[in-house]
Amino acid sequence: MKVSIAVPTGALLPGALKLMSRAGVMRLSAAELGRRLLVERSGVRVILVRPADVPAYVDHGAADLGIVGKDVLWESNGAHYELVDLHFGPCRLVLAVPEDSKLAGPETWPPLLRLATKLPRTTASWFEAHGQAVEVVRLHGSVELAPQVGLVDGIVDLTATGRTLRENRLRVAATMGSSTARLIGNQASLKTRTDAVQALVARFREAANHGH
Amino acid sequence: MPGFRDLLPDEAEVLREAQESLLEEMRRWGYRHVITPMVESIDVLQLGLSPEQRRRLFKFSDARGEVLAVVGERTIPVARLVAGKLRSAPLPQRLCYAGPVLSADEGRFHQRRETYQVGAELVGASGAVADAEVIALAARCLEAAGLRRYQVDVGHAEFFQGIMDAVKLPAAVKAGVRSALAARDFVALEELLERTPLRSAEHELLLRFPALRGGPEILEAAGGLVRNRRSERALSELAQVRELLVGHGLGAVVGLDLGAIRDFDYYTGVIFEGYGPELGRPVAQGGRYDRLLARFGRPAPATGFVVQLDLVWELLSGAVRPPALPRIDAAVAWTGSGLESAMRLGSTLRLFGMRAVVDTEARRDREARAWWRGIGAENLIQCRGAATVAWTARGGRTRSLPPEQVAARLAAALA
Repeated sequence: MKVSIAVPTGALLPGALKLMSRAGVMRLSAAELGRRLLVERSGVRVILVRPADVPAYVDHGAADLGIVGKDVLWESNGAHYELVDLHFGPCRLVLAVPEDSKLAGPETWPPLLRLATKLPRTTASWFEAHGQAVEVVRLHGSVELAPQVGLVDGIVDLTATGRTLRENRLRVAATMGSSTARLIGNQASLKTRTDAVQALVARFREAANHGH
Repeated sequence: MPGFRDLLPDEAEVLREAQESLLEEMRRWGYRHVITPMVESIDVLQLGLSPEQRRRLFKFSDARGEVLAVVGERTIPVARLVAGKLRSAPLPQRLCYAGPVLSADEGRFHQRRETYQVGAELVGASGAVADAEVIALAARCLEAAGLRRYQVDVGHAEFFQGIMDAVKLPAAVKAGVRSALAARDFVALEELLERTPLRSAEHELLLRFPALRGGPEILEAAGGLVRNRRSERALSELAQVRELLVGHGLGAVVGLDLGAIRDFDYYTGVIFEGYGPELGRPVAQGGRYDRLLARFGRPAPATGFVVQLDLVWELLSGAVRPPALPRIDAAVAWTGSGLESAMRLGSTLRLFGMRAVVDTEARRDREARAWWRGIGAENLIQCRGAATVAWTARGGRTRSLPPEQVAARLAAALA
């Protein structure tokens, strides 16, 4: 029985393809997948979608499994099962402020913190859990610019190496979480096609833990 | 309005037929139909809902300042009914209901805020026979609605509760385990359990939760791992229910799922979910909830389920053989003095159970045919006078008939 896997474009794609090859799921080049978007071979179908769309494909059952960053899961809470930590694509979620800002730890935060982010849900719920009032400005790109032009006090963003932050004269004031790639599964696929889907999950788990 | 939609005639008809077949099947099992109001007082609803579910209600206040909510499900209204107006009715009560429910949360019903549910509740009966009755009814309902392929996964809320009792973990970690499972986050679950030094069979079971599914053999496998009374009792109840379901003739569609993740504060016993092919969500779900009725002042065991009518409809319209499209059997056209016999003929055809539309204005020949094609009827009947009528079947010749023969000829042709 055919099993379909949604893999994300962008930063996680090379790692996802490497892992699929190591797990013996499918050997596939980024160029081939990028050209065809949908590749089907020996009982497995791989579809290439935007990172933020992976949960939607899996939740609605258009894909049985999906490879997606934990950061995307923070922003979308669907009915999927989060099955395996795939241990690649690590990054941190940080609160970053301008280098010359007085802001550092929680004791220095003003009564209302103005923040720009591409992850409004994660940001709002993290600060709510930490008892800090925030005003969240949702931006779609170049978040790093926002504090430099006085739009906000700081930004909440993902960083792997911290280079982009440094280039934009920002420093990390707090680390809010860490993310890696995850394997998620559709709830019905796990129930109705248990054997085929679980077999693939086991191969992913094996490969992820060995490369780790 | 996002999350709401109109159902056009073809869609509405399929949905209504599915709803009627479900209610009809429930009636055949002795379940009586009840209709509860679309709104309930928030004081009533919060007796049965978690804070999270309460948040998702559509709430408003009426002129007297009382806070009301549009129902998001109908098990609680039925519990209110059984403990209130039906207080003196003997238990068990078998009740069923149908209707739309609302959710204020756009994400919860996959962007739909209004959905349609048909449900049944068996209140006042405990034990495996009652559990099996409700599961078998759910399965037969899916068949009655027209689903050819489906499966029912049966689990038990107490299996998990027993494991949580027995597993040796600090209270904070246990709370984390519960919320990780509720969020279906097995990565977080693994991390939590990895940090604890103790290793037991219960740990292993928790880690393998999503894979604890299969036939009767998994009951034995799990029985070899658990060492607590609660889980053991759950396993033996599940074995009984499975056997009873085989007796109901459902052995082939029933699977066992010890890792079923549901609202464990609400469910107290056997739980189940029905799945159709190629659909990412359960089309039916239910289980035993023995604590709810006590909150309304009439303690009683209870079990029940709902079928998500929208999802049935989705499965039917996606099926290889779509259900027969509703059709109009006869378009009755008339000219001049033919009106009277047209109306009489319309009545006769309807008496035969056919769908007949009588034209609202006089039309002859080409215009009558255009009108016929426009409404998409199978047959055209043209009444030109009292004595004879002309009958044209789709793709057939036109024949003259005495009016009294029309109904019989048409019925024969349509059969």
